[in-house]
Amino acid sequence: MNEEALLSRASEERELIFERYERGRENLVGQIDPWEDPEFEEYHKTDRYGFIHDERLPQKTAPQKVNAEVEREKKWIKMLSQWDSPSTKEKLHRRIYKGIPLSLRMNVWSKLLDINRIKSENIGKYQKMLKLAKAWSTDVRQIDSDVNRQFREHQFYRERYSEKQCSLFNVLCAYSMFNSEVGYCQGMSGLAGVLLMYMDEEDAFWALAVLLTDKRYAMHGLYIEGFPKLTRFLEHHDKILTKFMPKLKQHFDKFGLDAILYSLKWFFVCFVERVPFSLCLRVWDIYLLDGERVITAMAYTILKLHKKTIMKLNDMDLIVNYIQVKLHKDFGYEDDVVIYHLERSMEELKRAKLDYPGQPPPSELPKRSLGMFVEPDKRSKIGQRAENFSEREKQARAAVISRREKAELDLQVLRASQSDTVSDKTLACGAPLRTSQASMDIHLESPIPSPNIKDVIQSRKHSEVASGARCDSVSGLGSRRSLADTSVTSTADLSVFSSGRSHAPDNSLDTHSIVSDDGTGSDGSGICGMSIQRAPSTAHSTPRGTPHPPSVSPMSDDVVRIHVTYNPLSASPSHLQPISPSKMKNYNEIHHKPVSLGFYTSNGNNRSTDNRIRIQVPSEELLTPVVDSGRIINQRYIESHTELYDLK
Amino acid sequence: MATNRSGASQRPNGAPQTKVCQFKLVLLGESAVGKSSLVLRFVKGQFHEYQESTIGAAFLTQTVCLDDTTVKFEIWDTAGQERYHSLAPMYYRGAQAAIVVYDITNQGGAGVCGMRAIFTIELPTRDTFGRAKNWVKELQRQASPSIVIALAGNKSDLAAKRMVEFDEAQAYADENGLLFMETSAKTAMNVNDIFLAIANKLPKSEGAGGGSAAGARRLADGEQPRSSTCCK
Repeated sequence: MNEEALLSRASEERELIFERYERGRENLVGQIDPWEDPEFEEYHKTDRYGFIHDERLPQKTAPQKVNAEVEREKKWIKMLSQWDSPSTKEKLHRRIYKGIPLSLRMNVWSKLLDINRIKSENIGKYQKMLKLAKAWSTDVRQIDSDVNRQFREHQFYRERYSEKQCSLFNVLCAYSMFNSEVGYCQGMSGLAGVLLMYMDEEDAFWALAVLLTDKRYAMHGLYIEGFPKLTRFLEHHDKILTKFMPKLKQHFDKFGLDAILYSLKWFFVCFVERVPFSLCLRVWDIYLLDGERVITAMAYTILKLHKKTIMKLNDMDLIVNYIQVKLHKDFGYEDDVVIYHLERSMEELKRAKLDYPGQPPPSELPKRSLGMFVEPDKRSKIGQRAENFSEREKQARAAVISRREKAELDLQVLRASQSDTVSDKTLACGAPLRTSQASMDIHLESPIPSPNIKDVIQSRKHSEVASGARCDSVSGLGSRRSLADTSVTSTADLSVFSSGRSHAPDNSLDTHSIVSDDGTGSDGSGICGMSIQRAPSTAHSTPRGTPHPPSVSPMSDDVVRIHVTYNPLSASPSHLQPISPSKMKNYNEIHHKPVSLGFYTSNGNNRSTDNRIRIQVPSEELLTPVVDSGRIINQRYIESHTELYDLK
Repeated sequence: MATNRSGASQRPNGAPQTKVCQFKLVLLGESAVGKSSLVLRFVKGQFHEYQESTIGAAFLTQTVCLDDTTVKFEIWDTAGQERYHSLAPMYYRGAQAAIVVYDITNQGGAGVCGMRAIFTIELPTRDTFGRAKNWVKELQRQASPSIVIALAGNKSDLAAKRMVEFDEAQAYADENGLLFMETSAKTAMNVNDIFLAIANKLPKSEGAGGGSAAGARRLADGEQPRSSTCCK
């Protein structure tokens, strides 16, 4: 088929699709395939937001709730009538966090997005864009296919070519001409679909325009080629996880779960179809008020609230299903509770200066002026795909791949250090700890992410080898140095360590203990500096030396990453030896920050039972196995300052 | 985690008789050809007329049993719109198998399907078969050389509106060494079969590939696949 023919067919197709939406449902009798158009179901299965359910709804909204909403409506109506007054400004934040009454959402959203002003400044623009779309848009087929799948369980969109389906089609087509850099990208049908539940067609168009290009929301960067804003926000999201929920982050990495997989719709469509619709609206209310910080904070909040459950899911499939499907059906918390936590999260992130990933770089902002007609090129007219990726797309690929590789590396590292159980046997025959009735705090500095990653790997690998009784293939590994020097991408060799990954529950974990965050202990017992008692080397110790900085013990070259400060202010029990100052210095040189580790006797109201060492790690980022004399005495990473680890 | 070993039959001495292999499989193809529907049918036995459009990618797993091997598929279902194409390599990286899907009617969304009865034209922007060929080319160029590729001509229940002939697709598949079936996620025709055919074709020898894309990853000790409904 020659180019002319292809072009004319493409435009014929576009016009045919358009024509059907223009004629609308009433004028298409007999021309809609039966399977396109499910029969409308009874009202008792339609919830107050308009969604139709397979089952009869359990109950109407509780009368008290309705009454409360009626009361709030009165206040809101008053407030709407004096929108620009100082008293509104003062109350707005609090009231929006409480939720906009359903009946007024349309008005309030329009106010928040300033739709009326924009519309009055652009009279006739929407109709012009729609007209242009009919003549030129190259996204019509994709939009048509997505309109046919968007919110089909909602009464507005249930019937094919219903009024709202037509509006959705029109808004998206018009926008594809208005913002030619974005055109139409899958995901936008979700945004426009929600807006159209509360606005008429033209208002929804301008609302969509505000969401994409107003700097408060700046969703433009999410939808353009290469998704640069997504990359930036995902990196920020990972940063937050690493800082506040490192254990969860490792859990995700363990199953190769990149944030892009579970959180894409959080960022793209502000939680549509990822949390229950009632909650989604509450988040939208706040998003429209406070902008993109809300997305970041809500992403954090969801994971925070469900961390415990997710940690128990040991399969990527299960985790993804839980986050994407289960939480959509049933979030497990009342909307008010979630919003309460969302607000706390925003404060928490702000304190940590992690509430905002920063201003969008120019590459995320529109370059062409909006609403200007740009004739599509021939390639997109006939729907031909580009032969090669653009620079932007290459960047997106590279960013995603490098994030995956980093996660894979983290995973290998994790497996490496987990691959061997520190057997009780080792402890029993090798290093009986004499530090009974003691508890200790270890302050570790985190080197992640930094060039130190290699050191971390190496130290973990060393731990591995050192712990080694079950690591039979040590001799086949080649030099550890070369392993440590392997590039980020070639971590396969390390997988040998994962062979013995232990899934045994660690009963020594005391996750319910509560201890003050400052690490000084709240038990009032005497603090003393000390070192971990070193036992003579045994067959379980590392069999080999390695080029490595001189370290605290001849036998611990490979493993020691726990260093203990001496606290001369405290009485040192005679059976505990302080670390020598020279060794401390060495550590400081390497790690820049001394590790302070205190042992507490179990006098007073110490919660630890006898024969336990209690370790608390204030650093949240560095994963470190607990090592004594070349043997890992606790296989687990010490990873959270909120938890204590009791070692038998 | 379940304590039974993935439902595999046990020898008298208690050792599992079947080996368990895990493969990464990716679905590629034009928007709205039925990639997600194929996966949903295979994994959950369900079909939704209005499968929500996949944004980015979706991940699911399913286990199938062969004579002596249990194969666990990690399935990556990708988005069809071109803009998401740049993310696809992340999903097919390291994949040992791919299903490239096209729509035998070569038609667009349902609206266009309805239209077809009236206007019998091939819609040029919706050459899903041509797009499938491009995906095959990209996989041959970029993916692991040993990747097993299957071509699925989906929506075979709409054979009355067929635009791509079976023989044409079969010939193309033969030329390129692809598995080929016409499938219907709606009626379930050939859905399990195509996954089984892939499972059979994948190399399951021990030590193959050593964790790389070349071969199956044997599950490590203590790493058990979820118990599945097969092998019962």
